[in-house]
Amino acid sequence: MAWETVIGLEVHVQLRTRTKMFCGNRTAFGDPPNTNVCPVCLGLPGALPVPNAEAIRLAVRGAIALGCTIHETSVFARKNYFYPDLPKGYQISQFDRPLATGGSVTFESPDRGRMRVGITRLHVEEDAGKLLHDRYPGKTAVDLNRAGTPLAEIVSEPDLRSPAEARAYLTVLRQILIYAGVSECSMEQGSLRVDANLSIRPGGVTKLGTKTEVKNMNSFANVERALEAERERQVALVESGRRVEQVTLLFNAATGQVKPTRSKEESHDYRYFPDPDLPPLVLAAAWIAEQRVALPELPDAKRGRLENEYALSAQDARVLTAEASLADYFESVVEAGADPKTSANWVMGDVMTSYNETGSFPVSPPRLAALLALVREGIVSHQAAKRVYTELAMFTDEEPQAAAGRLGLVQVSDQVALSGWVDEVLAAHPNEVARFRGGEAKLMAFFVGQVMKRSKGKADPKGVQPVLQERLLQTA
Amino acid sequence: MSGKVGKRESGKATARETIARLVKAEPLNAVLHWSHELLDAEAARVDAMGAPGALAAMPIALKDNIVTVEQPTTCASRILEGYVSPYNATVVDRLRAAGAMIAAKTNLDEFAMGSSTEHSAFGRVKNPHDPSRVPGGSSGGSAALVAAGVVPAALGSETGGSVRQPASFCGVVGVKPSYGRVSRYGLVAFGSSLDCVSVFGRTVDDASRVLSTISGPDPFDATTVNRPPMRVPKPLADLRGLTFGLPREYFPTDLDAGVAAALRHTADRIRQVGGEVREVSLPNSSYAVPTYYIIAPAEAAANLARYDGVRYGPGHIGSEGDIRALYRITRGEGFGEEVRRRILVGTYVLSAGYYDAYYRKAQRVRALIAEDFRQLFDAGVDLLLTPTTPTPAFKAGEKTEDPVAMYLADVFVCSMSLAGLPALSLPVGRSEGLPVGAQLVAPHFEEERMLAVAGVLEQNLDAGAEVR
Amino acid sequence: MSIGRDEVLHVAKLAELAVRESELHRLVDNLNRIVNYVAALDEVPADRIAEPYLAGPQSVALREDVEAAMPLARPPASMAPEFAGGFYLVPRHGAMEDQ
Repeated sequence: MAWETVIGLEVHVQLRTRTKMFCGNRTAFGDPPNTNVCPVCLGLPGALPVPNAEAIRLAVRGAIALGCTIHETSVFARKNYFYPDLPKGYQISQFDRPLATGGSVTFESPDRGRMRVGITRLHVEEDAGKLLHDRYPGKTAVDLNRAGTPLAEIVSEPDLRSPAEARAYLTVLRQILIYAGVSECSMEQGSLRVDANLSIRPGGVTKLGTKTEVKNMNSFANVERALEAERERQVALVESGRRVEQVTLLFNAATGQVKPTRSKEESHDYRYFPDPDLPPLVLAAAWIAEQRVALPELPDAKRGRLENEYALSAQDARVLTAEASLADYFESVVEAGADPKTSANWVMGDVMTSYNETGSFPVSPPRLAALLALVREGIVSHQAAKRVYTELAMFTDEEPQAAAGRLGLVQVSDQVALSGWVDEVLAAHPNEVARFRGGEAKLMAFFVGQVMKRSKGKADPKGVQPVLQERLLQTA
Repeated sequence: MSGKVGKRESGKATARETIARLVKAEPLNAVLHWSHELLDAEAARVDAMGAPGALAAMPIALKDNIVTVEQPTTCASRILEGYVSPYNATVVDRLRAAGAMIAAKTNLDEFAMGSSTEHSAFGRVKNPHDPSRVPGGSSGGSAALVAAGVVPAALGSETGGSVRQPASFCGVVGVKPSYGRVSRYGLVAFGSSLDCVSVFGRTVDDASRVLSTISGPDPFDATTVNRPPMRVPKPLADLRGLTFGLPREYFPTDLDAGVAAALRHTADRIRQVGGEVREVSLPNSSYAVPTYYIIAPAEAAANLARYDGVRYGPGHIGSEGDIRALYRITRGEGFGEEVRRRILVGTYVLSAGYYDAYYRKAQRVRALIAEDFRQLFDAGVDLLLTPTTPTPAFKAGEKTEDPVAMYLADVFVCSMSLAGLPALSLPVGRSEGLPVGAQLVAPHFEEERMLAVAGVLEQNLDAGAEVR
Repeated sequence: MSIGRDEVLHVAKLAELAVRESELHRLVDNLNRIVNYVAALDEVPADRIAEPYLAGPQSVALREDVEAAMPLARPPASMAPEFAGGFYLVPRHGAMEDQ
């Protein structure tokens, strides 16, 4: 039996604001527990929410970047349930009138090539606090620093057909949101969280099977593993004659397994209703248009433009646009005067290596461009340049030429010095000189090598050859 | 005692007097928290102010659902016993900035749910005019203190008439502003789309001055409207040029004889001082109480979900069990019967399968009720005049058996809350010794004219006189 | 329209309210009375239904993204029934792992 897998993903991202969604507390990560709190996010009697303008702006930008329709009027709703990380006993979210609907993400599926996943909706809401279950025996510890942090929830249509595809979608979604400046999108730091829905059905059938919800995955790789485990579990169930129950399962990264949660609670009745403390969110069409214009260039567009403007290959363009900062760096180097193809190679090589390690660019674009100019002018060889680059990365205010000089890597192009070495080599190898003059042109390489040796690598090979030519063609 | 123009009132002297009156009024059980130390501290603060402020050492009592840093706030509930707020309500800051002194926190129906102040966890409040009767509710404690002459003004809150109704029962002025006119930040939420901090005063002028001080937009409350604070109105000489509508639905044939006589008398007076009186209609009036008793409990059920025993309130009751046991026992034991009833009703009308039939429909009927008022005001009616309550104060225990009977006490005051309109109750006479109030209703944001008109009526009526 | 015991118990569970057996009967009775009373709205014909009513501002005013939280006159620890090491404490809830 060929089973088709149907996957939909719900992604929560923390919006990159300074303060919380409904109050003026800082959203910093890692502060002592219950210190970034106030009456509003503690849910104290009498407190009231007031929405954060920047959170709205970032959510709108995210929605635009995902091709959604922005609704000029949307409504905040209360989602009612009891849990220790939810101070008010309800979460302020959006329900039947969300901020945005109807977008899509286009990406390369590992299975099906270029494809498009629908985005059902994007809405804003506040985050809950954090629970720690093992700090005190028999108790759960509650930290409300995170309570009230602004979130955007992005729901995809169930258009994904494999765990690998789901991972690819997440990679591109994350890239788009980072480009749009909406969120840090870091699963390790908790600024991006994924809940997945998975069901199976026989190939060719259109009716959806019972879906389960999978949670507690802390990386994209683990999303893929978890979904593979869940698919296996569902297939095994159905093939042994049993039914899939609508449950929530938690992924265990250590074992790679998914297990239903222990709680036997029925599906929640959230009793959504419009929050009477918050009038409707009304956005002016002109303001929305401004956000569209202010949106930075998105990955797809940037990739296309780099290919065209700089005559780069599709592959190179894709690598360079993996992150906006990399692409920006590349363009700055070109702007500072370097050749695009050479710059691209350097950025994809040495620069990207140190960026991946340190997350920064220790060598500024003008300095790299200056180094590449030295290579172009023959003042340092390509090999030497790589050593100079390493030095520049360590000594951040040294100029390339000075560094090269200090390391003794400056190639000598001075005619007098070159002539000197050439004369010494020719004098030391009279047989080879005769043979060359007799017609063995390939000995040129030998002479060049000897000059390089005699100059201890300092001679500029490009300058050596013409001098050799001239001397060798002279008759004694 | 209510701040006079001219000689600056002394906080210290006011504190002495107020303390004496508070002690004398203790049998009323109108107060939940007060202390010598706090009053002395208020006096010192006020006397040290450079200028006296618009409320110049006026002692003001606060309903105990308005949070204060120095005194507890219990909402007359066991679930908040011992809770002391770490911040002050915006209205408290504004009163203090104007030189007022916070005298006491007053008793109320638990979480403001009730119409008689019999549903307090700390005992019922007695009506100063007849201790066997209720002062009305839910702001009964504040009403009683003003009626007993302890303070010239007090803050209460209204969700469905909880200041106007007790004002009528206690023979004092009770004013509800337009929704959004006064900040709710620091008012413990009951029905968020209905709640209004409201004012009791011995006189219209006292109430006006307090309301003017506390009104105005607040960046901490997104439901406040962006209008300047209400100003104390200039006195009117008479009521010439003003049209008063009397909605026939508020004058049923079986209206209490004393109340009917009082309103007839008031209408006559209006004519005598130049006002025009005509009969009008508010056709959807009969739907007001049912609509209210869907919307208010629904919002309350959500607003009271935060009382879970985790962050504040008494220590875990029966915390040996799991988290669900913590919630259920804390809330089951901490909330009184009326509060639990309303939470259940509210949860029910929002629950899956019932939301459209009840909550959504009620919101829409609410719009129809508001539309009734708008049509009258658009057709040239300046103010409405109605009885505030169907009867004078009833006896304690008379309505506690049947919740719906209690709800009907709000029948004349409920619609204005639903429509968000400003309204007030003015004492207009006595019926067998018990106060009777008349209600004025104005269009949105026309508090100033409404109060000016009330001032004229106050001058021209003897609130202490028998009406029959 | 009648609400039975089971339904009342279900609603009480949603609202996290313990209901004593001794008061259940009266609660069921009260609730039925109230719900039957408010069902008067069924009379309102469907075609007369207007848009939901907004009592206050028609659109929400947003605030700037600056640190301006209302300060607390006393810390969370002073109000909490159970507090240790900077955390609120509740009975251990087993259903979910740390999120």
